[in-house]
Amino acid sequence: MSIRRVLERALAPVRKRRLDRELESEIAAHLELAERDARDRGLSAAEARREARLGFGGIEAVKEEHRDRRSFRWMETLARDFRFGFSSLLRAPGFAVVAVGVLALGIGASTAMFSVVDAVLLKPLPYPQPERLMAVVEADGAQRWAVSAGNFVDWKRLNTVFESLTALAQTAAPVMMDGNPERWEGYRVSADHFKVYGVKALLGRTFLPGEDQPGAEPVLVISHALWQTRFGGEASVINRRLLVGGVPHRIVGVLPPGSFDRERGDYWKPLIFTPAELTRESMWLIAVGRLRAGVSLNQARDEMTELSAGLEGANPFWKKGWRAVVYPADKDLTGDRLRLMIWVTAGVVAMVLLIACSNIGNLLLARGAARRKEMAVRAALGAGRGRLIGQLVGESLALCTLGGATGIALAYALVWAARPLLATTLPPTAEVAMDPRVLSFAVAVILGVSVLVGFLPALQTSSGALNTWLNSASRGSSGSRALLRRAIVAGEVAVSLVLVCCAVLMFRSLLNLRSVNIGVRVENVIATSVNLPPEAHPKAESVIQFARAVVERLQAVPGVERAAVSTGVSLEGWGEGGVVVAPGVARGGSVNVRIKHVDQNYFAALNIPVISGRGFDERDRRGAPRVVVVNQELTAQLQSAGGTESPVGKVIGLSLSPYGTTLAELAQVEVVGVIHTERIGDLQSPAEPAAYVPFAQEPVLSMNLTLRTRREPTSVMPGVRQAIRELDRSLPLGPVSTLREIKERSFSDTTQSTWMTGVFAAMAALLAACGLYGVLAQTVTQQRREIGIRIALGAAPRTILLGVVRNAMGLVALGLAAGLAGAVALTGVMRSLLFQVPPLDPVALGTACASMTLVGLVAVLVPASRAARVDPVASLRAEG
Amino acid sequence: MTTPNKQQAELPYGTLDLLILKSLDTMGPLHGYAIARRIERVAGGPLRLSQGAVYPALIRLEQEGWIATEWGISETNRRVKFYSLTKPGRKQLAVKVAEWEKSTALVGRFLEATS
Repeated sequence: MSIRRVLERALAPVRKRRLDRELESEIAAHLELAERDARDRGLSAAEARREARLGFGGIEAVKEEHRDRRSFRWMETLARDFRFGFSSLLRAPGFAVVAVGVLALGIGASTAMFSVVDAVLLKPLPYPQPERLMAVVEADGAQRWAVSAGNFVDWKRLNTVFESLTALAQTAAPVMMDGNPERWEGYRVSADHFKVYGVKALLGRTFLPGEDQPGAEPVLVISHALWQTRFGGEASVINRRLLVGGVPHRIVGVLPPGSFDRERGDYWKPLIFTPAELTRESMWLIAVGRLRAGVSLNQARDEMTELSAGLEGANPFWKKGWRAVVYPADKDLTGDRLRLMIWVTAGVVAMVLLIACSNIGNLLLARGAARRKEMAVRAALGAGRGRLIGQLVGESLALCTLGGATGIALAYALVWAARPLLATTLPPTAEVAMDPRVLSFAVAVILGVSVLVGFLPALQTSSGALNTWLNSASRGSSGSRALLRRAIVAGEVAVSLVLVCCAVLMFRSLLNLRSVNIGVRVENVIATSVNLPPEAHPKAESVIQFARAVVERLQAVPGVERAAVSTGVSLEGWGEGGVVVAPGVARGGSVNVRIKHVDQNYFAALNIPVISGRGFDERDRRGAPRVVVVNQELTAQLQSAGGTESPVGKVIGLSLSPYGTTLAELAQVEVVGVIHTERIGDLQSPAEPAAYVPFAQEPVLSMNLTLRTRREPTSVMPGVRQAIRELDRSLPLGPVSTLREIKERSFSDTTQSTWMTGVFAAMAALLAACGLYGVLAQTVTQQRREIGIRIALGAAPRTILLGVVRNAMGLVALGLAAGLAGAVALTGVMRSLLFQVPPLDPVALGTACASMTLVGLVAVLVPASRAARVDPVASLRAEG
Repeated sequence: MTTPNKQQAELPYGTLDLLILKSLDTMGPLHGYAIARRIERVAGGPLRLSQGAVYPALIRLEQEGWIATEWGISETNRRVKFYSLTKPGRKQLAVKVAEWEKSTALVGRFLEATS
């Protein structure tokens, strides 16, 4: 058959009406002509009419054959079944609404979830040939660090495996827009940064080779989002000059929308290393390279290992044995925990879909049982078994199409609502959207669901001795159907139990996480920052002066109780990393530490207790003996070397870079105090050893401002802005967050996945309850006569009630047993997601079992009481 | 009355297509009745064709693109479809004729050999 004909035939059902009309008129014309010819041969009108009909043959048969020939029979049949399905759904609107709602929920949730899975885990990075993008880091064994500028420059110069290699460092600068200072977040990047990612400018250009060399004209590329919001999306933005950090820059390009917007950078500027930055001590760059075509990951690894081994002599002594490590760039974007969390949530959603399907299947089975007589009549009138199945599948297809369409609409709504919430959790390269991939997934799910939901009941309904169903006296259930329905419900209970168990585990884990002692006061504390331009502060003294003035001004703002200056936002970041060298600590006498520069108000403002010794005070000025305060973890490290006595009074070596340089030197500093550990970053990993140095001795340009307030913390911000403006008109304030917000943000991913699991588990339990109710109610209806007889013979209603309850609890117990087995099987997956909760937590298992038993009891209540109230006379008469 | 299917079976399978195409080839555009009449007339006595059988055959040939249709007015002043041979149809006719000749020759030889 030619393609043309296949197409024509496929389209014929659509044109059915027109084709039928045309055929009718052709046949009419044919008969007329035949009649005329016959009359011409001398026949009477009546005879001519008869002759014409006879010559033509069976008109209906011709029409039927015409239809057969012009289209695919099964397509018309399917369309008819589909229409029939819709109309039979309309006859049972209650059933239709419930079924469509349940399916829409299942399909909508799984489609929305798939859009997340696809964006984060399945789709390759949204750049050309993403498999060639590699991250390169400095590594001390398994410990990965950022890259020092000195090593980066050498790697770039000496390697032969990368087509191009780029370094990126976060930055922020005050920008004068129409006379007002604004703070923009941005990146300093190598000139071939966008070449590595294969991204071209939407407008203008990206950077030219050589623009990252000293002496090049300062240029900027801005993000699409910034272009839209701050420049009204006008093309005249190209070549516009802006004062960035007090230096005039020219805007040369605008990036396309997409992943670069989600990185929350406003601008990119060429990374020109200052002489002070070109060291190998300080690791602060993120290096990403694009492999040359044909170079394998292993080749790249081998060369970079060798290359970095060759540079070992140029590196500081404490980087002995460090090597460059290459790995696919997408590994960095999605952490193992996030990956697992997404899979677990997706699994949970899939389970809910499964339960929804089995409920609908169960409903259809029950309907099938009720419709046996209808089926039997159809069969008696000559419908083949295939036709009966076709009709039932058409019905479930109609159901699933409605449910699926509603589900897709629901998924759009869910994705739209969830996108802003997910933005902080998911990597910037993940574009969560209802794209064609997600839609085709939805269609596949709908088809799968209709087969699952429709086929089994259809086979059941139309099998067996149909004619016996015509006998109205035959009742009770056919054993296999009842067994199947009961097995499905027990399965639903089992799956729900697993989900409820997961949810309880995750909630307990979240509670544990929230109750971790983070060591700082969270109530009524707000944080913001200022970045001083280095040009305005060539000397350390002026920064110290400024910090002192800021604190003074801020403490004068009404509502502010205490103001403190430090590096790194509390809970969120440190200033820098470094090493402590002290006799006997760890291997090689040095231990990696986090370093934070804090002023004398910091510990008090955040209620960080000083355990021994003292905090910082007026004594710790520049020129005075250099001092340090250590946290409990560093104390433990120091003590592991020299017994249990307090480290206060000891002198240790600490790597610190003098003001204005990034070259760290080992400074001899005296430990004057031990503070209670302040938790920063991921609460699920152990706390890190940290050293605190006085800001007045070691000032830095980027200052985090922490304010403890007497009232609602955001209410002091207008005063704070005013105070900063009075100090320096050109200095913009950084992002503002209360510590409560920062704390919430630090486990937003766990909170989100926990709540999602909780909601879906509750949904699953609810659906299981509906399924259970359905089966029990039907059993009671079917046994009305039997119950009636038993009551007539003197059975107490209580006995009847208990009988139904026992029946239900048998089902629930079966489900619980299967569910517990499932929960045990899943412990391996859950273990790494949980924080201080064993995966076989008795509380979780107990809660899950108890709640599913409760669900069972609720579901059995109505059917059981109905059974107990059966009126023997009525039930016997009705069916006798 | 005999069923049309039984009558149609008297025509070797696939022959009706060939007869229709050939009629259109020699006569030019025709409507359904004229095609049926022409086949009856040329075939003469032995063929008992129920005329309605041409319509399912016509829709198939049209879908294949071998014949084209056009609306026209019949001798009784009615709107009817006129069918005409298309270029691919002409080619198809040649193929069918060749096939037919080949198979009749084969069957003929076979019958001679066994007689």
